[in-house]
Amino acid sequence: MAADRRTFLKLLSAAGGVAAAALTVIPALRAFASPLASRPGPENWIRLGEASEFDLDVPVNVNFVQTVQDAWVENRVLHNVWVYTEDGENFIVYNGRCPHLGCGFSFDETAKEFRCPCHRGRFDAKTGAVLAGPPPRGLDLLETRIEKGILHASYRDFRAGVPDKIALG
Amino acid sequence: MKSLFGWLDERLDVKGLRRALLDREVPDPLTWWHTLGSATLGVFLVQAISGMVLATYYSPSPDHAYASIGYIDGVVTGGALLRGMHNWGASAMVVLVLAHMIRVFSLGAYKYPREVNWLVGLVLLFAVLGFSFTGYLLPWDQKAYWATQVGTGIAGTTPLIGAELVSLLRGGVELGAATLTRFYAFHVLWLPAILVACLLPHLGMVIRQGIAPRPKALEDGAPPRTTDPSYPAYYAPAYAATKQRGARFWPDVIAKDVLIVLLTIGVIVLLATLAPPHLDGPADPTDLSYIPRPEWYFLPLYQLLALVPGSMETVVAVGVPTALLLLLIALPFVDTGSKRNLRHRPWSMAGFVVILGSSVLLMDAAIRARAPVSVAEGGRHLSSTEMAGRALFQTQQCGSCHKVAGVGTSEQGPDLTEVGLHHSSAWMHSYIENPKRFHPDSEMPAFGYPKLSHQEIEELAQYLASLRGHAPAGVPPQFHDTFP
Repeated sequence: MAADRRTFLKLLSAAGGVAAAALTVIPALRAFASPLASRPGPENWIRLGEASEFDLDVPVNVNFVQTVQDAWVENRVLHNVWVYTEDGENFIVYNGRCPHLGCGFSFDETAKEFRCPCHRGRFDAKTGAVLAGPPPRGLDLLETRIEKGILHASYRDFRAGVPDKIALG
Repeated sequence: MKSLFGWLDERLDVKGLRRALLDREVPDPLTWWHTLGSATLGVFLVQAISGMVLATYYSPSPDHAYASIGYIDGVVTGGALLRGMHNWGASAMVVLVLAHMIRVFSLGAYKYPREVNWLVGLVLLFAVLGFSFTGYLLPWDQKAYWATQVGTGIAGTTPLIGAELVSLLRGGVELGAATLTRFYAFHVLWLPAILVACLLPHLGMVIRQGIAPRPKALEDGAPPRTTDPSYPAYYAPAYAATKQRGARFWPDVIAKDVLIVLLTIGVIVLLATLAPPHLDGPADPTDLSYIPRPEWYFLPLYQLLALVPGSMETVVAVGVPTALLLLLIALPFVDTGSKRNLRHRPWSMAGFVVILGSSVLLMDAAIRARAPVSVAEGGRHLSSTEMAGRALFQTQQCGSCHKVAGVGTSEQGPDLTEVGLHHSSAWMHSYIENPKRFHPDSEMPAFGYPKLSHQEIEELAQYLASLRGHAPAGVPPQFHDTFP
């Protein structure tokens, strides 16, 4: 009888302990893991300039400043994209971050290719394809449109270091 | 698994540890009041876990603190729930710590041989109040800012060292950025360190000395004072006898503790769901109309300060808590009678009733005093003119004849709670200047020049026009202004 009572109390304690812990830990973990639930934000079209003004066959670096909400802080951040056009009508716009680990890359005038200084990634200027180095995918192309002669691109950042192009929130 | 346990046991004597910690015999029967300490410990763990996660989203700077709390409430998954648990958990901590202390007090458990643990418990009590006081500032909203302004100001009235004490608390002369980082550091580093450093010996002593039994077991045939040389010889066998009935710490005591902890945490989660924590407007040091109120458990002291004349304020604000603290420290050394049941200790009973009773009365008064402020001005922000008018209302002691929402010392003149609904500020301006022009037999003095300037009367009239009692915002006033 006493042994039964003891066993019952032990089970009761264990069950109660688990329930009490769950009531505390689950809300805590949910809140802690909140960043996992972030989704890509709405489209973010930016104005890059008169379509007719871009040099032909040479990538052009375009910098722009945006006000972004960084968690609870409103920030002004500088982004850059590379604009490439062969004919002044069809445009390719690359996100300015290397898809390997997020460094800024530049255009090498003599080799006619993009080079990332961090780990020597090299990319084709016309397509963004990887020519050499560790980058797991080609440069990230952005969606573009021309409105009343003005070139716009939908700016996004993408997850670095993975073969798939995954938009960030 | 078995061999792993054997391997560990060989090295660490796990079985011995188990015998010492879990299988130990405990006094039987214990009361449900004996679970209050464990309930406090349980809620402390809730505070620690929720606090560690809240800290990952909180920014202790005046520029960002308020916005980061908004982020926790609005963006973080279940963030409002977690903050609610931390907020309600804080109240629960204070309630449980006090209840635990009252239990220890009424069962005489602070007497021989547990005097030292009583003192450690007092440090823990003040650590908990410190957590509450420092945590209250962190959201950096109006109530946080102003309550801390007052709270640190009280410390400043301490004789001799007041100014230094305020600077140490605030990290400067004024409340600001350095105060916030300071309170944050106190809240997440200093106080947890102090609390854990005291909690471990607090629990260690319970294991070493055993749980205090019901008073009766230690009263029959006891020497009259615990300081009698024969008392230890009486105590040891009498205490051992309480443990003869075979109850063990595990699972007999733990099962009860776990149930109470589960119930307590359940209530905290429920409250956090039903009543999420309130966030006032952001801290605004220029808003002089804000009436700060401390967290509810500081209300008795707050109300006491409202009752005493200014010259006595220091004595009360610093003196009363200090006296209480000294009383609690001295208690186990002064009260050496061997009677443990509160009913057999008339002096302790009287003191207990007086302190608890006056706290309850003060708390009640504080809660009732809350109403007028919100009713009179309907929680609206007053313009600077209206604020100036309200200050004049006080300095000219209009309240000695007129009541506003129940506040005022007599009803000689008409109640002004809703005066803004019935009269225009222009009418009130003329009336205040010279009441006898309106009612020849009015007893109200004329406040026209030189008593008050035209500007001042206008401020007063505009303040009065803002008094609209319980009327919802947007209801147009209906003036019955008749000029002579």
